[in-house]
Amino acid sequence: MGRRTFEGYVRPDGRSGVRNQLLILSVGHLTGPSARRIARAIPGSRLVAMPYGSSLIGADRALQMRAIVGMASHPNVGAVLMIGADGPKLKLIDQAIRASGQSLVTLCLDDHGHDALTLSDRGLREGARLLREISRQRRQSVPAASLLLGVECGRSDPSSGIVANPLIGRVVDRLVDEGGRAVFGETMEWLGAEHLLRLRGRTTAVGDALAAAVLRRERLAIESGLDLLGNNPNPTNVAAGLSTIEEKSLGSIAKSGSRPIESLVGIGEAIDGPGLHAMDAPSFSPESLTGFVASGAQLMLFSTGVGNSYVSALAPTIKLSANPEACQSLREQLDFDASAVTLGRTTPDEATERLLDLCMEIASGSLTWGEVLDEGDEVLSRLGEAL
Amino acid sequence: MTTIDPASPCETRNPERNVDALQLALQDNVATLLHAIEAGSTCVVAAPDGPRTLKAIESIPIHHKIALEPIATGEPLRKYGEIIGEARRDIAVGAHVHIHNLISRRAR
Repeated sequence: MGRRTFEGYVRPDGRSGVRNQLLILSVGHLTGPSARRIARAIPGSRLVAMPYGSSLIGADRALQMRAIVGMASHPNVGAVLMIGADGPKLKLIDQAIRASGQSLVTLCLDDHGHDALTLSDRGLREGARLLREISRQRRQSVPAASLLLGVECGRSDPSSGIVANPLIGRVVDRLVDEGGRAVFGETMEWLGAEHLLRLRGRTTAVGDALAAAVLRRERLAIESGLDLLGNNPNPTNVAAGLSTIEEKSLGSIAKSGSRPIESLVGIGEAIDGPGLHAMDAPSFSPESLTGFVASGAQLMLFSTGVGNSYVSALAPTIKLSANPEACQSLREQLDFDASAVTLGRTTPDEATERLLDLCMEIASGSLTWGEVLDEGDEVLSRLGEAL
Repeated sequence: MTTIDPASPCETRNPERNVDALQLALQDNVATLLHAIEAGSTCVVAAPDGPRTLKAIESIPIHHKIALEPIATGEPLRKYGEIIGEARRDIAVGAHVHIHNLISRRAR
């Protein structure tokens, strides 16, 4: 079988985009409403509003900086209009983004008479110009191996762990075998399955780090006094038939396929080298997906059991379910129907080929339901207290 | 040590055969229902070593679990060949296995 390719946008830093988006980025929420106003006025642009500002300290401060730069220099982004109220901070971020070769205009509220409308007017004109400019770029054939695929599950049911997640795992294996990269996260959903992940670490150190990461979150759960039953598994999971975190985890990790795990990274950290990687991050889907995006994932495979409409704003998110009822009723949400496997009407091998085909199709420009319906957003995790 | 073979749960199935539930690994003492089942009805379970038949002693919703053998209080419940928790009370063959009789061993 030949290696797969897709039609992508080749970026100055060598990465490939599956979209060519204008990102309207607000840093600190003083300019969030202006960013929203500008994004509304430029159809096709993508809004990311990073709400927190100068009160961030320590790990949160570093994470916010890393994630902003990661999203702004993301290969799916053709150009960025960045606005904010903190001049020195904007200057630092501006320099870091430009280092990737990204096309960028930065506007500070202070330079616009402290007036949101003056800032919005200038932002709209600059944004319009950027969008027109990037529309001149053309797609070209690139190998599937240039993808970093993020894998996620949300509002799972038992069909997720038995059919949909193993199917995603097969796609991950195939991409890794072609020299591509994939990342899975949702650390809490390794609990009860960490002995299996540990054995898959490329080195003993990686295996130990995977186990330590989930044990740390288990301690957090115990110290918080939170009963995982009703939290993870959540009430929707429980109603659908998942009884414990162990049961959910064993199904969840099937998304990671079977290849060695090359590294464990933090939210939005660089994912270096081909192969499968793990991200130590919250399991809540909006935070998890944004972590993958900040690390450069261009495409997501997202399984659901009973249905979950949430997608990433910057990375097309392919939704699939193996639950026959959900596939019947959620026709404008699910991009891939895996219920034929559940019903024994097709084999996992056939379904894997079809899902790989769909990945290449979406990577080449076909829209997901989440994109058509604009269900996407980016939500960065907060780790601790602020000043 | 069991690794999860993504293929096995699906490929044990024959669409022509009337299968009600899936046992994912040999060691498992629960199976997952492919459709809702009524109390007293016969349940055909597709297992790695071939089909087996048992009687559901209560009604069980789609995708929920049915006990394949008697399980005493405190004993582990197994799915995917791995421990998914323990019995919080004695569980009879054909019983519905869920949060009323199965409890996690983690984060407690």
